[in-house]
Amino acid sequence: MTGPTSGTRPDEIRRHNRTALLRRLHVDGPSTRASLAAELGLNRSTIKALVDGLAEAGVVAERVPALRSGAGRPSLLVLPQPQAAVVIAIDVRVEHVAMGFVGLGGEILGRDSWNLHRTRDPGEVITHIVESARLMADDLDADAVGVGVSVPGVVRRADGHVHEAPNLHWTDVALGKRLEAVLKLPVQVGNDAELGALAEHVRGAAQASSDMVYISADVGVGGGVILSGQPLRGTGGYVGELGHMVVNPRGNRCYCGCDGCWETEVGEPALCRALGLPDDAPRGTVVAALRALDDPSVLDEFAGWLALGLANIVNVLGPELVVLGDLYTALPDAVVDSVSTAVQRRSLVSRAVGGTQVVTSPLGRDAKLVGAAELAFEPVLETL
Amino acid sequence: MSEPILELRGINKSFGPVHVLHDIDLVVNPGEVTALVGDNGAGKSTLVKCIAGIHPTDSGEVLFNGQPVQIRGPRDAADLGIEVVYQDLALADNLDIVQNMFLGRERTKAGLLDETDMEQAARKTLASLSVRTVKSVRTQVSSLSGGQRQTVAIAKAVLWNSKVVLLDEPTAALGVAQTRQVLDLVRRLAEQGLGVVLISHNMNDVFEVADRIACLYLGRMAAVVSSKEVTHGQVVELITAGRSGDLGIARPEAATI
Repeated sequence: MTGPTSGTRPDEIRRHNRTALLRRLHVDGPSTRASLAAELGLNRSTIKALVDGLAEAGVVAERVPALRSGAGRPSLLVLPQPQAAVVIAIDVRVEHVAMGFVGLGGEILGRDSWNLHRTRDPGEVITHIVESARLMADDLDADAVGVGVSVPGVVRRADGHVHEAPNLHWTDVALGKRLEAVLKLPVQVGNDAELGALAEHVRGAAQASSDMVYISADVGVGGGVILSGQPLRGTGGYVGELGHMVVNPRGNRCYCGCDGCWETEVGEPALCRALGLPDDAPRGTVVAALRALDDPSVLDEFAGWLALGLANIVNVLGPELVVLGDLYTALPDAVVDSVSTAVQRRSLVSRAVGGTQVVTSPLGRDAKLVGAAELAFEPVLETL
Repeated sequence: MSEPILELRGINKSFGPVHVLHDIDLVVNPGEVTALVGDNGAGKSTLVKCIAGIHPTDSGEVLFNGQPVQIRGPRDAADLGIEVVYQDLALADNLDIVQNMFLGRERTKAGLLDETDMEQAARKTLASLSVRTVKSVRTQVSSLSGGQRQTVAIAKAVLWNSKVVLLDEPTAALGVAQTRQVLDLVRRLAEQGLGVVLISHNMNDVFEVADRIACLYLGRMAAVVSSKEVTHGQVVELITAGRSGDLGIARPEAATI
């Protein structure tokens, strides 16, 4: 880093511009040279030099756009080449593990997933991940340059140490180090909800929002927060346990030691109970039951708890947008609308900012996988 | 409580003197992957073909969404929302992806094929399954890999708004990595609330995606078990001997074809 008194050398500026240009292409997809120049506020000849350099390295390709607009020579379209940088994204969930090879530009090139019914032992999970990674690397003929992992638990960002992932029954698993040792690649591990928030911010519903909260329900409930465009991490990066906000002191005992955590009222088991399903019904069954729901009023109590917790969160964090992810994406529109209205009515902050929007995630089940890929891409884009 | 989407009660089927299916009961729940396993000749494919309307059944009842139905041919099954994906990649090689997905059910506008509409629908379906492995929906099927073809075949099943998808050994002709891709897709179909029946010989595949396992033994339903509650060994015993501990048919030694 350059200190406040030292100047910036031209090659540093160039590197900075190159990273900015790559990030722009990675996030927003193919663009013309002209629009890149306009958006990055750089000179046309600077853009040409940067693009030429990247094209020579095989990171981007250029093409004459198929659709012409306006008079004159059309500006060349710059396309990120997915194969130029491939990362491995891994989404460890309570019931299964999903992983994918994701190319530059965010394209998922290959996928795999497997149930965790028989064992959630970290050693077995790591073994399966490594085996799948090798298979997919061979099949896709791609060498990955980084790994991003999403874990539903409390994670130390610096080295990917999983302190506690209660629903997986993991305590003190050095996931980052162990994966790094076998995959021989830089590994970043993040909390699932934080990565969901990142995914929504980069590729989902919250691209235009700099203050947003992502709430996701799998078996547990977690939250990721982005304020002023930056993730809120707290000491050591442990922010995210919004599901353990106590909302009902006379409610059910939660495994965390408290009574009536939000999670016990709005998690997947609570939703299953509202729908008359067994607590451990598979995800598809819950989705099918929600889709076939004739009478949304059975969800009234559930929606009430959801709105109550969200109103608290909006009051504390003041986001402009709340994105409901994962299981919540299957909620009927009427329920989401009623929750949104209730939050706007109850929350002081929401009223002040002119109504916080509550929407469901367009990324659905893939949000955390996409987030894990973006986490892995962050350092990669700077070195490409 | 969600109702079974498809229920079979006491299905019997004979080919001449060979009694292939004996009083088969099977329930397919929406949002679940039900694996159908059994030895060669146990009647797995026959059962699927009976559901798909290819073979008529001799006796027994089929309930769809709780209503008794008669499936007299593949078109009846398709009209109900039952689609079948076969192991031998049943796509027309000389046609492109869109043409294959709409084969025999082309959309028309003013008497002409509505190519734009079909192309958009195909693209939307592939995107909804987040299948980004095919470059263009106008690619000829002959130039696709086995895994991609099976993906197209499954997407075809989804395009028709089907409620039940039967997959008859969808990964038998595929390599390991491509098998995983297809299994991942199978899981995501179920997560979208479809009822999925997966026939497979591979125990690893079965345990990786299935919620329930239905074991056929010599044309009889030996047991339907939750994949969380059984081990590999127990399922293998059910397949090969029709019985494992308390599970399975009472007197497998008396069972004959």
